[in-house]
Amino acid sequence: MRFYKIMIALLLLSSCKKSEPIVITPNDYHNAVDKVVEIMVHDIFSPPVASRIFAYPNIAAYEIIAMQNPRYKSLSGQVSELTNIPKPKTPDHINFELAALIAHMDLSRQLVFSEDQMTSYSDSLYDIWEHKNPEIFRNSKAYALEVNKHIAQWMNADNYKQTRTMSKFNIDSNDIARWEPTPPSYMDGLEPHWNKIRTFVLDSASQFKPIPPPIFSMEPDSQFHKELVEVYDISNKITEEGDTSEEIQIAQFWDCNPYVTVTRGHLMFATKKITPGAHWIGITKIASKKSNMNFEDTVYAHTKTSIAIFEAFISCWDEKYRSNLVRPETLINKYVNDSWKPILQTPPFPEYPSGHSVASGAASIALNSIFGDDFQFDDDTEQRFGLPTRSFNSFEQAANEAAISRMYGGIHYRAAVEVGVKQGRDLGIFVVNNLNMLNE
Amino acid sequence: MAIASLVSLFGCGQEEPPVFTKVNMATSHIDFTNTLTETKDLSILDYLYFYNGGGVAIGDINGDGLADIFFSGNQVKNKLYLNKGGMQFEDISKQAGIEGNSSWNTGVAMGDVNGDGLLDIYVCAVVGVNGFYGHNELFINNGDDTFKESASEYGLDFDTFSSSVAFLDYDLDGDLDMYLLNHAVHTQESFGKADLRHQRNYQSGDRLMRNDNGKFIDVSEEAGIFGGPNGYGLGLAVADFNQDGYPDIYVGNDFHEDDYYYLNNGDGTFTDHMRTYFGHTSKFSMGNDVADINHDGLQDILTLDMNAEDEMVLKASEGDEDIQIQKLRTDQYGYYYQFMRNMMQVNQPDGSFQETALLSGVASTDWSWSALFGDYNQDGEQDLFISNGIERRPNDLDYINYVSNDQILNKINNTNLVDQEALLKMPSGKVPNYIFMGKGNLRFENKSKTWFDDNPPSVSNASAVGDLDNDGDLDLVVSNLNELVSIYENQTDKTANGYLKIRFNYEAPNTFGIGTKVYAYTNGELQFKELYTTRGFQSTSEPVIHFGFAEAKRIDSVKVIWPNKTFQVLKDVKLNQTLVIRPENTKPLKQNVVLKNKMFEKVEGNLGIDFIHEEDNNLDFLRQKLIPYKISDKGPAVAVGDLNGDGKEDIFFGGSKFKTAKVYLQTDSSYIEATFPVSTKDSIKEDVSALIADLNNDKKNDVFIATGGGDFYDKMKPLQNSYYTQNKDAGFTVQQLPHNFENASVVKACDFDNDGDLDLFVGGYAVTNDFGKIPNSYILVNTNGAFSIADGAYQMGMVTDAVWDDFDGDGFKDLIVVGEWMSPKFYKNTNGKFIETTKISNLNGLWQAIEPFDIDADGDTDYLLGNWGMNTKFTASEDYPMLMYYSDFDGNGQTETIVCTAKDDIYYPILGLDELSSQLVFLKKKFNSYKSFAGQPITSVLDQKMIENANTLQVHTLQSGYLENDKGHFKFVPFMNELQVAPITSFLKYDFDGDNKEEVFASGNYLGVTPFHGRLDAFSGALIKNSKSISVATQLGMNLSNKAVKKINIIHFKDKPYLLVTFNNSKAEVYSILK
Repeated sequence: MRFYKIMIALLLLSSCKKSEPIVITPNDYHNAVDKVVEIMVHDIFSPPVASRIFAYPNIAAYEIIAMQNPRYKSLSGQVSELTNIPKPKTPDHINFELAALIAHMDLSRQLVFSEDQMTSYSDSLYDIWEHKNPEIFRNSKAYALEVNKHIAQWMNADNYKQTRTMSKFNIDSNDIARWEPTPPSYMDGLEPHWNKIRTFVLDSASQFKPIPPPIFSMEPDSQFHKELVEVYDISNKITEEGDTSEEIQIAQFWDCNPYVTVTRGHLMFATKKITPGAHWIGITKIASKKSNMNFEDTVYAHTKTSIAIFEAFISCWDEKYRSNLVRPETLINKYVNDSWKPILQTPPFPEYPSGHSVASGAASIALNSIFGDDFQFDDDTEQRFGLPTRSFNSFEQAANEAAISRMYGGIHYRAAVEVGVKQGRDLGIFVVNNLNMLNE
Repeated sequence: MAIASLVSLFGCGQEEPPVFTKVNMATSHIDFTNTLTETKDLSILDYLYFYNGGGVAIGDINGDGLADIFFSGNQVKNKLYLNKGGMQFEDISKQAGIEGNSSWNTGVAMGDVNGDGLLDIYVCAVVGVNGFYGHNELFINNGDDTFKESASEYGLDFDTFSSSVAFLDYDLDGDLDMYLLNHAVHTQESFGKADLRHQRNYQSGDRLMRNDNGKFIDVSEEAGIFGGPNGYGLGLAVADFNQDGYPDIYVGNDFHEDDYYYLNNGDGTFTDHMRTYFGHTSKFSMGNDVADINHDGLQDILTLDMNAEDEMVLKASEGDEDIQIQKLRTDQYGYYYQFMRNMMQVNQPDGSFQETALLSGVASTDWSWSALFGDYNQDGEQDLFISNGIERRPNDLDYINYVSNDQILNKINNTNLVDQEALLKMPSGKVPNYIFMGKGNLRFENKSKTWFDDNPPSVSNASAVGDLDNDGDLDLVVSNLNELVSIYENQTDKTANGYLKIRFNYEAPNTFGIGTKVYAYTNGELQFKELYTTRGFQSTSEPVIHFGFAEAKRIDSVKVIWPNKTFQVLKDVKLNQTLVIRPENTKPLKQNVVLKNKMFEKVEGNLGIDFIHEEDNNLDFLRQKLIPYKISDKGPAVAVGDLNGDGKEDIFFGGSKFKTAKVYLQTDSSYIEATFPVSTKDSIKEDVSALIADLNNDKKNDVFIATGGGDFYDKMKPLQNSYYTQNKDAGFTVQQLPHNFENASVVKACDFDNDGDLDLFVGGYAVTNDFGKIPNSYILVNTNGAFSIADGAYQMGMVTDAVWDDFDGDGFKDLIVVGEWMSPKFYKNTNGKFIETTKISNLNGLWQAIEPFDIDADGDTDYLLGNWGMNTKFTASEDYPMLMYYSDFDGNGQTETIVCTAKDDIYYPILGLDELSSQLVFLKKKFNSYKSFAGQPITSVLDQKMIENANTLQVHTLQSGYLENDKGHFKFVPFMNELQVAPITSFLKYDFDGDNKEEVFASGNYLGVTPFHGRLDAFSGALIKNSKSISVATQLGMNLSNKAVKKINIIHFKDKPYLLVTFNNSKAEVYSILK
């Protein structure tokens, strides 16, 4: 009996020593990104902060790929203050795809709050790889962590930490044109200093400063007032048509509000969803899978798209706290109908321009540059939240729909979505033109 | 079982036997349980007041002299238990016919509705939501232990959302009218304007029902009772609060709707005077109770809320709202100041209330429902019982943030299904009830662990008090959710403490004498009671008056004032008896004397001084999220002196940032506003302290202004003080000053070097964006009217006030400095150098003001010291000082402060995880849930290294008081508690009463704190004649509460002295002195 046990142990040991190759597939990358999205939903990150959590781990992974595969050009020298990552000391004993994946997971862990969730996910994979090929795994992991040290040092100098202790947004409720907190939870304005975050490609947060919003006026003839009434009228019309109306479906599909509060007396709920950035990362996944992209190209697509989204939020937030415009809900409640509620919950920051519109515009341009202008896809990103799949003939079409959805949702005026999506596209073109990622 | 009780016997300690022992069911035969049945269609998700419980009513329904008990159940049948004596009861519910037909019952009230001398029973119901059916029921007593439901005959068959009712004779026509309290059930997502309350909503609006010969008529609208859709009425109290003979009504509303304070106008109408007479109220107001806790013959009010004392609960639950949201709610939506804690509103002689719950020690009793005052131990002071508990805590932060998901939301919105699993994840809120012993001096001591023999965690809602066993002391009946009711027998009859119980036999139809007042005097001390039975929460207590008298032998006199404004007096009354009093030999009551000692009177027109100080919109908490209070609101500067050489006293008021300073010149007829000629270009500065004096010895007054404001930083020019000298033509010239970029707090002049000119001390208060750093203070030496810094910068502390005084008697003026997070510091003048000498140690405070004054009249100089007061969430003692850690904890180049106070030997940060992690992001990673953070001492929140590397500032006492001079040695003596209700920020020494002796007028309050702290607004001022004679200003015709006093000056106008009171962010006021 005892002998038998020892035999088994020996067998196990010897089988461990037998090394086999570690194969990393595009799905491994998608799964890791999905895991990060799941944790981000749990931890509740605002859309701008979420865009940062997507971008840096992708860049870390991309730089490792570019180190080994001459098809890809390093971003060092192309994005602000990034220098070359360290070269591997034993390149022959490193699986670069594995290292890229590990770097992505490890940097993501550093960026989320619930580190333990990420750790238990990566540990389960580490176990498998350790058993398959301990030497390659350990070398790849060591290299990934070395690269992350380099990337983290660069990342941590982006002013994020400093913006945490900058002043909160000062609400001036005496000026009716200025933004004020909205029902039901009346949260503070989120990320008032996001324009102080270091950009990747833009020369400054204000490089794509949009035209100002229509001049605030409650005169019935004014452009601003007309747009306010338009929001109210559309909302009433589609509410009457009911939940099956196309506009309500569109509004809900593109809601992407990470934290919606529901109150029932003393009882409060929050429903948590992905951010606009996460939705476009989801589309990136759909497109790269549909195109049968390999691992390297998958990383490339994610990196480019997430950089565009990251820049979009800085540009957008710069304008939001510059124009500091009041939300339709505040004005409609004050002047038109004190019990009116928008179809979507108003997110807690100034109105102009629409963040979803800018981000969607930028992301669509990045995706066009990777997958082409006429890329047909079925978007099932929101299925986990019980929403149906929607089909699009191009990224542009999806971006336009995402933009207008904010008006249907009753949280933006027309100018914010039309100007916003244009701002995003202009910015996206600049990003794409200034990122030289492929050696072709 | 036997072992357990042995353990508890020894565990509790033998010294203090319990006041209350639980009567078990085998003895009492009371088997009522308010059992709640949750279904998929009915839970807290469907009805927000699902856990509020039923009601209790105590009264003798059959006239046998024994108090019977009625219970209403939410979903179960009502029960009536007949008292058989000896704490034994008989269930007569079935034959009595009171079991009820409504599907959701709430409050209950006993009262003689038809005036036949028998108690009838009124039971409230919620109808018309969640499928609830039925109506409020009125059970008329047939006199044979049976009842007849007659609500519709009387016009009281409401099918609304009722909480409870009160019977009162509001129009003094001799019969009982009714106030019906309803509550909204809809979910309030947006605040809505406060004036919604002027609407009339059938289901949630309150009702005033006038009794017209047995028919109740709805007079709500004409009587001025609010009836809006936003009234979440849970608390109801009736009393003659303003002592005009007419009953008034206090309504406690849950959520953001204000409480209502209805004063009876005596003409059938009421007016809500909340804003006139209260500084702030409970936010989530629940039950309440009324009693005279301080023996002044005025009814005080305690309102309950849901703030927890236990750190594990406190830090895992939602706290007070953000300061900006509060501003929005008050400024934009029109609501009043409300904070999440119990409020002890102490009634003042001028009709106002000053809130002392934190000082009184009764502010935080968790999710509280019913409050009942009573002298439970019969020592002559009102004690306090509070029932509390919630089946599940919906305000648990982890629940809010981590359990909710789309599935639940969809179910609630669409299918009305409830996710039981999610419900179960809300933590239980079962907690033991509270009981406090009244200590006098506005204080209560928590006796929850010793006064009950059995006080298990429970959800206890309604409660009522009565003498169930006729032994003279007050027994308690408590209705529990899903558990047997608790009957607590009071054991005080076994002690030497005596009682007096009074029943009334009043003229029909108000046979029980509702509204009768009793004043009992023993050894010069007054006790006052007024008979209203609706007390606590959804309940009525026994219609008797009860007093305790400790070990007194007799009661000197008992004065009874009947509802019809006649009175009779009983002299030399025996203790330990139950009197039945009917009107006999009554005399008409004379009109009350308003104020006997009126000394101050507000001057209409303010002598032309229409100065309004407007604080700029600088929210310090936006910049430094963790600082304990603002530093930017210490202005305005104010100084009095002749500024134009006409021999009349003029006034200088400094401006806040971007506001110009103002000068008021005295003319023969009034003061006239003028612009201070050279100060307009300095309007960017914030002036916090000023003096008018001849600084360059040219026989003309000059002006020196110390500036601060906490907005400018580093070496920004506006931080430089200002110095203007007066020209020949009464114009002024700007003079240079040595560089000194500090947020100054005070400037004080004195010829400390005896060279014939005035030198200056300028105190530094705080460093902008770096709170906790010690700023520089300076001595400025005068040389021919020019100032230079003597002896470099002094690092004295966060200075707030100073006084020049020759404390060592060597003929040279020395300097005494006070400030925050420091002791009063004595600096001996040694040839122009100021050397600190220790006169007092371990006396760090948040000192605000100092004044030399011989308070004990022994011929030497004592020093009065204004501190933060004890009516605050801060706590401090010599053994457990309040700590403030100051460091750059997250190493990002910006310092933070973390204030900690001790609870049961352990230091906890005052702020919660959300606040701390908003500045210290690493805490979000360290604590993944609120539960993991709750209950963590500061030593676990921060790493050991961080604490070691931090500067630790301390406060040993928050009490205001004085340094008593005993031959040059000083001892700190705190003032009485009436002077600890808010910070004291200013002392003014003057002979107010013309007796050729100086008195000191103290004033204060401070509002620059977050909603977590509330508003430190309860101090009306006080006149200090000597240590034995101190009068609160409301007794003298003056009330400076609810506003932050910066300074009080004496101004002379037409040879008469006046008090000029200057407030931060408010209009200055002028008072004349009546002699």
